[in-house]
Amino acid sequence: MTTARPLLEVRGLTKRYLGLTAVDSLSYELGTGSMVGLIGPNGSGKSTSIDCISGFQPADGGRWFLDGREMTGLAPHRIARAGLTRTFQTVRAYDELTLLANLCVASQESDGVGWMQSLFRGQPLRSADAAAQTRGLELLATVGLADYADAPAAILSYGQRKLLAIAASMMARPRLVVLDEPVAGVNPTMVRHIEEVIQKLNAQGVALLIVEHNVDFIMSLCRRVIVLESGCKIADGPPGLIRSDPRVLAAYLGKARAAELDSRSG
Amino acid sequence: MNPPRTASGMNAVPLRALAVLAGLMALFAIPKLTGNDYLLALGVSFAALSVLSGGLNLVYGYTGLLSFAQVGFFGIGSYTAALLVTERDWSLWAGVAAGGGLATVVGLVIGYSSLRLSRHAFAIVSLSFALLCMIVARDWVSLTRGAMGIPGLPTPTLSLPGGIRWRIAQPADFYYLLLGFVVFAHAVIYLVVTSRLGRAMRAIKLNEPLAQSHGINPLAYKLLAIALSALLAGMVGGLFVFYLTIVDPSIFDFYYTETMLIMVIIGGPGSFWGVLLSSAVLTALPDLLRFTTDLRMVLYGAVLIAAMLLCPGGLGGWLHRRRVARWRQPRPAPRS
Amino acid sequence: MDLNFHAQLLLNGIVIGVIYALIAMGLSLIFGVLEIVNFAHGEFYMLGAMFAYFLTANWGVGYWPTVLIVTGVAISLGYVLYEALLVSLRGENFERSILLTLGLSMVLQNGAVFLFTTTPKMTATGLSYSNIIVGELRLPLARLFALGLGLAAFAALYLVLYHTRVGKAMRGVAQNRDAALMVGIDPRAVSRLAVAIGIGLSGLAGAVLAPVYAVHPLMGFSFVFKAFAIIIIGGLGSISGAAIAALMLGVLESLVGGFLPLVMVDALAFISMIAVLLLRPQGLFGRGVRV
Repeated sequence: MTTARPLLEVRGLTKRYLGLTAVDSLSYELGTGSMVGLIGPNGSGKSTSIDCISGFQPADGGRWFLDGREMTGLAPHRIARAGLTRTFQTVRAYDELTLLANLCVASQESDGVGWMQSLFRGQPLRSADAAAQTRGLELLATVGLADYADAPAAILSYGQRKLLAIAASMMARPRLVVLDEPVAGVNPTMVRHIEEVIQKLNAQGVALLIVEHNVDFIMSLCRRVIVLESGCKIADGPPGLIRSDPRVLAAYLGKARAAELDSRSG
Repeated sequence: MNPPRTASGMNAVPLRALAVLAGLMALFAIPKLTGNDYLLALGVSFAALSVLSGGLNLVYGYTGLLSFAQVGFFGIGSYTAALLVTERDWSLWAGVAAGGGLATVVGLVIGYSSLRLSRHAFAIVSLSFALLCMIVARDWVSLTRGAMGIPGLPTPTLSLPGGIRWRIAQPADFYYLLLGFVVFAHAVIYLVVTSRLGRAMRAIKLNEPLAQSHGINPLAYKLLAIALSALLAGMVGGLFVFYLTIVDPSIFDFYYTETMLIMVIIGGPGSFWGVLLSSAVLTALPDLLRFTTDLRMVLYGAVLIAAMLLCPGGLGGWLHRRRVARWRQPRPAPRS
Repeated sequence: MDLNFHAQLLLNGIVIGVIYALIAMGLSLIFGVLEIVNFAHGEFYMLGAMFAYFLTANWGVGYWPTVLIVTGVAISLGYVLYEALLVSLRGENFERSILLTLGLSMVLQNGAVFLFTTTPKMTATGLSYSNIIVGELRLPLARLFALGLGLAAFAALYLVLYHTRVGKAMRGVAQNRDAALMVGIDPRAVSRLAVAIGIGLSGLAGAVLAPVYAVHPLMGFSFVFKAFAIIIIGGLGSISGAAIAALMLGVLESLVGGFLPLVMVDALAFISMIAVLLLRPQGLFGRGVRV
């Protein structure tokens, strides 16, 4: 355990919906370059908590910090520019734009080119555009979509759209990417492909927080797993520990069944 | 952004630029070729409507914000220019600039206050704003001279660089002046929509939460689109009203809103050339077909209904679908 | 004399307010159930008034039968409108619904102008000049009937919305569409009825107002925008809010117009709407953040 400042620090995050507490005083930390899974049964508050830290939902309490900078209450575009990007559960893409354009849009606010420079097409803009194109093509190659760089995004299959979204989230060289159910509804071949892509990206130094229902996927990919239930963190540790944690088993299988399994193995 | 190519693979940009240049030269030559005042009047109408629909296209077609405020900006620019020139002896340039400026400020105010809520609120507020303008023009008599308006606007004189004073008296003069403004306005719009700014606007329209997750600030770009459309609408209003030699509450007529909406819908929201072309065709067509205004409006209404039921993307949308279809067909080895 | 002047203004204001309420409630119902802003709503008010005029002036139909016929036709028109045009629209595409109904309004309005010219027509019914004299007050019978019918319509609407299954279904859809779908409410049937009722209320308003004011093809135009403002002031999604806001506006316009004739009475609706949006965006009675 280093004493370096954590990349992401969440303290006491709370979100309520009309009397129901969706996220209940959630706290955790992530280090630079880490790969952490966030799992939990339906209604445990996983997606809600990341909607809050990425700015897409207002939180009712708590604070969170990226690399020491406070992100609490900031608008989503400012959090993205600060280095925390995300993908969405309902896969989003700019259907009418080409794949390459989809990616170049994702970095245009983060490469230091202002409005005036954008309009008057000088050297700063040209260099930035060239750099974005290069990076875009590299990322498309990493995810395996380079052949379709000039195609409109509308032609992609569901799994391909997920890959595109992951690539786009990487364009602005973020410190942390939050993936919201990256393999939901995707066939097993594509699941393996996405797993490889995520590992490649993590190897480049980006921290990843992955929310998923597919527990096996998380267990094989991530070195650390956080488990939520009814808005509270009930476990946080390496996959091996999580797999046998009685509270986790109870959350997923129900208390009776968990006790049964426990007595069988114990 | 990928340069467009023609079917034979040639780089289409120089071809397109050549076509535009040729078209412009032809348009500017018209007064010399024919003395037909009717054509010139049509040209002036085209100027006003194409700038209005170009601005609406920027706000609605590119950024996805349905707005009824354009006619309000048009009228505010008209009244401001008319009042400043007649009552304060301002020059035409200054009056027109002030008209555009005031329209821009008003646009920013209504945009900022209602966009914080939602784009639905903005649509309805923009509508009420346009109506409010008409009511103010009609009822605030001490400011706007009420329903009678301000007739007898003087013949404007423009001081051009080089000491030339151009007296804008003949229909041909107004034709050149307004056509010149059309070129300027569309050049500005083109510059914006083909830049990163335009790309951000399109991203906001296509998928706003996604754009936010990429660091794009939707409010800033929406306000930019509104401000620019208001500026151009206000300025062309200032020029147009001197051609009419009278400004009265009918400058806020809903007819303008309906017409520019049809031009944008048919040309294709988000299609720069589509809307420009449709504004030209739809300015000329009704007079060619000699419909009365009422029947023309009935037809426009029917077209609007049909478009919304069958083909909401207009001409531009149809072209985009063709492009997608081409990619889906089996084809030889892709580029690697 | 002064008291009578006040009272007269108040009565006029209430009558106009009731009419506004009929139109605004219909608009609110359609918006609540279908999430569609019906731009053409005012045109059905105008058509109701024109139809009433023709029935009375050309065919000598009496007041009560006219009102019944016009309302019945309007309700049927609502069904037709839904099935022909609105059934394929979905709430997510707000802009499409506005533009489609705008197109419809253009067709109806300009069609009416083309067919009937813009000359206002006064409906001369047997009621036109009958007044009830109460003390110093002259209460025109036509206005009283308008008021009475309006209130009757409110009562009927209240009964439908709160005491019938389909009415409760409508309220359910208006409050939470997804939940309503999940409990098995048929959105199509509910939407169809909502449109029929909404258009019916507009037609009724037109029929009832035809003997009071002059009838012309552009009369719906100014009403519909005020109706938009009213439903925002009352709170989007709240039908009773729309009614209350409408009454308040009617009375306010009448009083202000009576005492300060130089002020822009027509602007009141829009200025109030902008004030509400800035200060209390969910409207006076709105619950959700539906704006």
